[in-house]
Amino acid sequence: MSSLLNVFSRLSVRSTGISFLVDNARAISTTPILLAEPLKKKKKLDPAIIRQRDERKRKKLEKQIRRLEKNSRQLKPIDELEVPLELLDEKSARTRVLPKLSEEVQEQRVLLQKKWAHYKLEERVADFQIIDRVLQSQKKALEELRKESEDLYQEAIQPDLKLTPISFTGPVNTPPIKGYVSPDGDYIDISKKWE
Amino acid sequence: MLRVLSRRLYSTATAEKWDLYAGVLVERLPVISKTLSPVEKEFQDQLWKIEYENSLKSDHEMQHEKDVRQAQLLKKGEVEVDLDEISSQQTAQDKKDAYIEEHKSFEFAPRITTDDKADNVKSTNRKLEDILYLIVEQKLGTDSHMLLPQGKREDGESLRQTAERVLKTACGDQLKPTFYGNAPVGFYKYKYPSKARKESVGAKVFFFRSSVQGSEGHEIKEGVKFEWQDKMGLEKKLSGGYSDSVQKFLF
Repeated sequence: MSSLLNVFSRLSVRSTGISFLVDNARAISTTPILLAEPLKKKKKLDPAIIRQRDERKRKKLEKQIRRLEKNSRQLKPIDELEVPLELLDEKSARTRVLPKLSEEVQEQRVLLQKKWAHYKLEERVADFQIIDRVLQSQKKALEELRKESEDLYQEAIQPDLKLTPISFTGPVNTPPIKGYVSPDGDYIDISKKWE
Repeated sequence: MLRVLSRRLYSTATAEKWDLYAGVLVERLPVISKTLSPVEKEFQDQLWKIEYENSLKSDHEMQHEKDVRQAQLLKKGEVEVDLDEISSQQTAQDKKDAYIEEHKSFEFAPRITTDDKADNVKSTNRKLEDILYLIVEQKLGTDSHMLLPQGKREDGESLRQTAERVLKTACGDQLKPTFYGNAPVGFYKYKYPSKARKESVGAKVFFFRSSVQGSEGHEIKEGVKFEWQDKMGLEKKLSGGYSDSVQKFLF
C-alpha cells in the first residue's frame, strides 16, 4: 500500500511540481477490526443437574464396557489344569515323608534307565528294519506286475477309496468275556455345558 | 505317449508266458496286549515307584490316617465318643476291604484260552497276543500243499478282484476280511515241472494283505482243510522259497 502511495506521490511530483497532493497521502487510513465483545455472564448450573449429567456419562461408558465384555469370546475353564484348592492348602499335610533313597538304589535306577534307552533303541531299529523289508517286498511285487502288464499295474496303484473310514479296536488287557451282561445302570453325562 | 513307451518297454521284456495268480494273506489281528518282557516289567515297576514317591497323599489315605489317629485317642481314653456313631461309620480300611472283595469276585476272561491248551489250530481263539495267519490246503498239479489261499487270474479281472474271488471260493462267505488296498504286498514265482508245462512256463503269485478282527466269528467253509498259524508255525508249515517270499512281508 505504501509503495503504491510512493508511486503516486512521485507521479505528482514529476508531473506538476505542485505539492498539494503530497500531503493527501496521509488521508488514506485503515481502521483495525474490532472483534471484542462484552464478556458473557457465566451460567450457574444446578449441582444436581451436573451430577445427573456425570452419571449419565458414566452409565453410557459402563454399558459400552459391558457390551464389549459380552462380545469377547468366553473361554471355558479347563478343570483338569487347575490345581484343586484343597491340594494347595493341605500340601504340607499331603506330602509323603519317605526315607531318602540310598545311593545304591539311585545308581540302580540310573542304570535301569540306560538299559531301557538301549532296549527302546534296539526295538526301534528292529521296527525300521521290518518296515523296510515289507516295503521292499511290495516294491518288488509291483515291479514284477508291471513287467507282466502295465494295465494291471495301473489298476494296482489306484488308491482304495472304500478302505476309509476304517476302525480298529484293541488290543485290550484281557479278552472280552463271552456272553457278559453288564450290570444295570444309567449313563449320566455330568460334563458341564458351556454356551 | 510316455505310457505307450513304457508299455512297450515292459511288454517286450517278457518273452515267456507266465500264469498270473493272486494269493491272499489273512491275518487275525492281536486281541490282547503283549505280555511285558522282563526289561519292560522292571522299568514299569520303577516308573510306578517314582510316581508314588512324587505323588501327594490321596483323600483315601488322608482318611485312613485320620481313622488311625482317632483309634489311638480312643484307646487312651482321651476322647469321649458315642460308640454307636463310631460303629456306624465306615473307615477307609473298611472301604478298601470292600473294594478288594468286589475286585476278587469279578472274574476276568483268561488270557490263555482252552484252544491254546488244546493247541487247536482251527480256532482263531488262541494265541490272542499274536497275529495269526490263515493257510489252506491247495492243490498244485498233483500234490496238495498248505499255502495261503491262491488262485489264477481270469481275463478282465484286476488282481485285487482275483484275490477277493479266490478267498471266497476257498473259504466261503463267512470270512470277511478287510483288504489293505489294491496293491500286492508280496511276490513269488515258480516254474511248473517240465512234464506239466503247456503254454506257460510257471506261475507268478501276487500276495494281497487282509485282516480280520476279534477272536470269533471267522468260520471257514466246511470240507476245507485249513489252519490258523502264528509266524513260527507258518514258517514250519510253508516250505523253501515260498516260505521266504511270504516271510518277507510279515510283521
